[in-house]
Amino acid sequence: MSNWEILWSARDQFWSGFLSTMEIFGLSVSAAFVIGCGMLYLLEGSRPRLTVPLRVFIDGMRMLPFLILAYLLYYGLPAFDVRLDAWWSGVGALAVYHGCYFAEIFRGARLTFPPGQVEAAKAHGFTKGKMFFRLILPQIVMQTRPLLGNQLIYALKDTAFLVIITVRELTAAANSLSGTYFIPTEAFIVVIGFYWAVSVVMEIIIKQCGRFSAKRGFDHV
Amino acid sequence: MNASAWQMLQEGAWTTVWISGVSIALGVTAGLILALIRIARIPVVDQILVLYISLARATPLVTLALFIFLSAPTFGLNLDRNVAGILALTLNTTAFNAEIWRSAFRNFSREQREAAMAAGMTPWITFRRIMLPQMMITSLPGLINEMSFLIKGSPAIAVIGIVDLTRVTNRISAVTYEPLPPILVACALYMAAIGCLVWLQRIAERRANRLAT
Amino acid sequence: MFEKNASEKAMPETAASRTTAPEQIAVSIRHLSKSFDGVEVLRDVDLEVREGDVVTILGSSGSGKSTLLRCINWLEQPDRGSIHIGGQRIGVNDAGRPMPVRELARVRARTGMVFQSFNLWPHLNVLHNVTEAPIHVLGKSKAEAEAHARELLEKVGMSPKADAYPNTLSGGQKQRVAIARALAMQPQVMLFDEPTSALDPELVGEVLSVIKDLSAEGYTMVIVTHEMAFARAVSDQVVFLEKGLIIEKADPETFFTNPSTERVRKFLERDES
Repeated sequence: MSNWEILWSARDQFWSGFLSTMEIFGLSVSAAFVIGCGMLYLLEGSRPRLTVPLRVFIDGMRMLPFLILAYLLYYGLPAFDVRLDAWWSGVGALAVYHGCYFAEIFRGARLTFPPGQVEAAKAHGFTKGKMFFRLILPQIVMQTRPLLGNQLIYALKDTAFLVIITVRELTAAANSLSGTYFIPTEAFIVVIGFYWAVSVVMEIIIKQCGRFSAKRGFDHV
Repeated sequence: MNASAWQMLQEGAWTTVWISGVSIALGVTAGLILALIRIARIPVVDQILVLYISLARATPLVTLALFIFLSAPTFGLNLDRNVAGILALTLNTTAFNAEIWRSAFRNFSREQREAAMAAGMTPWITFRRIMLPQMMITSLPGLINEMSFLIKGSPAIAVIGIVDLTRVTNRISAVTYEPLPPILVACALYMAAIGCLVWLQRIAERRANRLAT
Repeated sequence: MFEKNASEKAMPETAASRTTAPEQIAVSIRHLSKSFDGVEVLRDVDLEVREGDVVTILGSSGSGKSTLLRCINWLEQPDRGSIHIGGQRIGVNDAGRPMPVRELARVRARTGMVFQSFNLWPHLNVLHNVTEAPIHVLGKSKAEAEAHARELLEKVGMSPKADAYPNTLSGGQKQRVAIARALAMQPQVMLFDEPTSALDPELVGEVLSVIKDLSAEGYTMVIVTHEMAFARAVSDQVVFLEKGLIIEKADPETFFTNPSTERVRKFLERDES
């Protein structure tokens, strides 16, 4: 049996690893997106005492390697009697970590948001929350699309770190297959192909979204 | 944490620093070389480099490190862990650095190049004396940013058994049964290192802006 | 509108009485043609610049005058025709093939060019902008290049700024440095591509007066400009380009007082109004 035939016979393991990675990725970036939006809202300044600590938290996260945050949740939290399994630690760490990056991307765009629009909204009697969710946020998301796309690729790549805290995902699948059958080269080529394909598909989707926002004049980022 | 724990942390930090440092130095240089090859637009070679850059950007460092370390023996190469780790980090960062260098080259002012040609400079002298010094200044913020990313990605080499600043916290807690303190110290060290880079990046940005005006 | 300063400027008789032996031709352009994307910007242009002469090229924008100037040092490559600088053909070698880059650079070094947008190198200070090419192209020693550079900076009135970086200078100052930089190559001909068009009006004068001084010193110059009074005062020969054709070539007195074509008369009237 050739190495590639061995791999084919083990396709279920790859597939389940792939699904596991996609599940972790999908869940955590959705949460990260919500966290990013929430942080941006809090930074709008309705609770002034929160802004400074929040900025410090975001900047602090951006100065940490992702894995050390996963360590903090997985190995560190039990000291406070909070016990998360590896999977939830991983998803939680990804969500918080990339949530901070999303928040920072949004914040950068918020700084250049035309103040005239906010005034116009106020003049039309919008409440703060309505104004944020109906006017500011949609524009900022459209405007930062390419940066968000980049961040998604970083998040996808960071899922592989979770193999170190024993999460069974795609890289773990390759690792265990290459250990069982001694075919590391082929196993990892397949897995890298998976990551690459997902990245390329994401890039295409982000570009397609570009058409949607270009129509509304947001192509100049 | 006792004295031996501190000692181990120090060693882990040193491992992270030297492996990252070597990879950064190799990656910045190799990135420049790749950028120049891409600018020359040699058929086939150019397509191969595009594919490499696309793959390197999409491949997680952990996966790349495992791939290199585990598959090298099947090609008859017995790579030292450290060498495999450096190779993985370098292959990854080179792709990003190549794009940074290339965009500095592509955005270089045509007028300034013409002034150099009009003064009788050959393309090589123009590149070495006029373009490269300025490309270094304009690329530096991007390159430093990429250095931060490399350090943030460096714990990936733990997967092939290198005891870096992140991995060493496991070793310490295996003895002390208190994982939190070493992890927090490691966090502080990472923040200090990356904080320094962020600060340097700001200075570099200011210098680059001065050149642009 | 134009000052008459014939006393300061060589009269046509004087220009004509100069010997015109072939070795004294600084730039010779023959049958030059060039098109961009199917649009002809230069059509069969012939022009000779004698050593020590100042030739100004006039014409409305898009007439091809900048392209003509940029062909002289091969920043643009003409489609047909030839250009010789001091007897040496540029761009094409004896075998009729495109020149190798090193040889081309050597011929280019015989010309000095001053650009509309100055194009100083921002990473070098004023002194090093001037010494860069003499050191790395002509192979001069650092000391020699710097001594010469300081002389030239003195000449253009920029020696107090020798250590300043370009981004701290005004446009007029930048252009004067750019002139010193071009002079430092001891070129056989100086090429000026609209040297004052990017300047604030109050800074135009300082640059023009530097160029005027150079003409008095006998430098050979080809100048593309929109400054009519200046062209009249400084030129030995005025060339008018229209849609890539030279339609008038005359001494400045004739050109400005009695042009032979209706088109030039219109052009001058419009400028006067």
